[in-house]
Amino acid sequence: MRKSRVAYPLTWRVMDGLEGLAARLWPARFEKGLPYLMLAPAVLLVGILVLGLVQIGDSSLRVLDTSTFLMSEDLTLANYHRALTESFFATVAGRSLLGSVIVTIVTLIFAFPYAYLMVRTPSSALRKLLLVALFLPFFIGQVVRAYGWLIILGNQGMVNEALGLVGVAPMRLLYNYPAVLFGLVQYMLPFAVLMLAPALTAIPAELESAASSLGANWLRTFRHVVLPLARPGLVGAGLVVVTLSLTDFAIPAILGGGTQDFIANAIYDQFFRTSDQGMGATLSLMLVAVGSLLVGLVFMLFGAGTLAMTGERK
Amino acid sequence: MAVASAEPRDSIAVSVRDVGMVFGDVHAVRNASFDLPKGKFLTILGPSGSGKTTLLRMIAGFDAPTSGEIYINDRPVSAVPPHRRAIGMVFQKLALFPHMTAAENVAFPLKMRRHDARAIPGKVERYLHLVRLGGYGGRRINELSGGQQQRVAIARALVFEPDLLLLDEPLAALDRKLREEMQLEFRRIQKELGVTTINVTHDQREALVVSDEVIVMEGGLIQQKAEPVHAYRAPANAFVANFIGVTNFIEGIVATRDGASVSVSAHGRTLPGVAVEETLAAGDACAGAVRAEQIRLAPHAEALGNLETLVEGTVADAIFEGERIVYEVRVPGLGGQLVRVFDHDPVNHLQFSPGDSVCLGWNARDMHVFKK
Repeated sequence: MRKSRVAYPLTWRVMDGLEGLAARLWPARFEKGLPYLMLAPAVLLVGILVLGLVQIGDSSLRVLDTSTFLMSEDLTLANYHRALTESFFATVAGRSLLGSVIVTIVTLIFAFPYAYLMVRTPSSALRKLLLVALFLPFFIGQVVRAYGWLIILGNQGMVNEALGLVGVAPMRLLYNYPAVLFGLVQYMLPFAVLMLAPALTAIPAELESAASSLGANWLRTFRHVVLPLARPGLVGAGLVVVTLSLTDFAIPAILGGGTQDFIANAIYDQFFRTSDQGMGATLSLMLVAVGSLLVGLVFMLFGAGTLAMTGERK
Repeated sequence: MAVASAEPRDSIAVSVRDVGMVFGDVHAVRNASFDLPKGKFLTILGPSGSGKTTLLRMIAGFDAPTSGEIYINDRPVSAVPPHRRAIGMVFQKLALFPHMTAAENVAFPLKMRRHDARAIPGKVERYLHLVRLGGYGGRRINELSGGQQQRVAIARALVFEPDLLLLDEPLAALDRKLREEMQLEFRRIQKELGVTTINVTHDQREALVVSDEVIVMEGGLIQQKAEPVHAYRAPANAFVANFIGVTNFIEGIVATRDGASVSVSAHGRTLPGVAVEETLAAGDACAGAVRAEQIRLAPHAEALGNLETLVEGTVADAIFEGERIVYEVRVPGLGGQLVRVFDHDPVNHLQFSPGDSVCLGWNARDMHVFKK
């Protein structure tokens, strides 16, 4: 008896018991259903989101009665009309769209050399340093980081004090459009690098050696070999950055100081300041529509990049 | 270190002078010197880690030598970046551009080198024909077979008429039949264009088949530079003898030396052979090397005729390889050493089985004696 116990350890018996239990709860003939069962939580979550969208759609068709502060009973397109005609909303939308495009371009330009160096450096110490530097901001969080910029860029901040030492009068570095774009680029950089790195890893270094032996200097190697092959990574990273910065709330709120609102800030104001749920819902839906349109357009023009896991790329 | 060269300077395509490469404290290449005349096909042969690829990368310009100088067409090239050297290279993994068609790949060096744009399509077509890929120009790289991709890589490396073609083991990944076909293809194209070629490989058969000259490398040092036949028949040292072909080594002491002939005393026997090194003298520890195919094998000593060295043994293993049988014979007279023997006549010849008593014989001139 003792001998057999050694040959068949306790952990195996426990596993056998668990497997038996699992087989009773989920018989083998249900096996085909298992993948769908595992899909269920995700489907449920997305489903709730869709229900929310329907609810928002309903709200967007009701206007706020300013005398009673209740939503109207009858459905109307007045909110959409206001959103499309009032110059305030056009300004916010234009600022957000232009901002997200600028942020995306600048971020990609900054992220590319970073990701390239991280992938290609022969020194593993440097690679680790670059990776840690990349992940550190993630641990800090967006609001704290934006607050950090307030301290650094403020009128009595480090930058202005340093400028004061060389005789430059204090400058207003905060609460303007460039400050918001600067904060967004800094916030987006790690995302872009993380999306680009796998795409660059997939380009064999030998291709660049080959290009140079065939007569291409580094600039032409970059232009004709690296850039075209990195396109899926650039598209993927660009999509992530453009959607995240278009919908960002904290950076425009903190670094813009209320003067540089993006769409998300306008939505927040409608819901929580003026309590105009209808207008807030309208702006939300329009943001979803514009974002989807933008992503769809990029998909059509450039393909889905690294976001489409077709396995076609080698 | 001066290397004697009978060639006039202007016929030398590549001249490597005392080139060394140090990575940290590893000497990847030490004091490598050789001259390669124009139009010749040179193979650098060696095991992995022997420094052969490092040497090739220095010639291509991807790495700068830590000492010495490389001359291409009599011009020092250490300060010349790869894209300014006129060198075509076929890479180990081919390094074809996957986002271009076969024709675009071949046109790439012409565009980068700013050739006349109107002449490019014609030239691309001509080189695709040269590598027997006429009509395949529009194919994407992933629509081509392994052998076809090899051919695109060759066409791309040759289309701009480089001074020098470098091959970095491009055939290593192919299956044997395709590899042998491509070896002959390299040979044909090289002869047709007359381009000076340096090939790097660990495949001794490839080195013997394709090359005009062979350099054998080991431990960062050039062990021998010779024509293939010469490297095979007269290896310069024990490493070369062991690396090319299948060789049996019999260890012993030099008993006497008279000119090139030596006698080796091993395990109480005296075996006649020929000395390779000048410095080998009586009393030196040595190893006699005999190729597996230069040993005859028979049931009785009489059947071996007048071979100068005869030993007796027992068959330990018989391996049938199709065109030949490889015997491993245990020879008590040589301290129980296993001697490998190729028998190339499996049809008419007697076939021996493990346990059979046999007699082995070879000629004195086929035993090369090296210093230990």
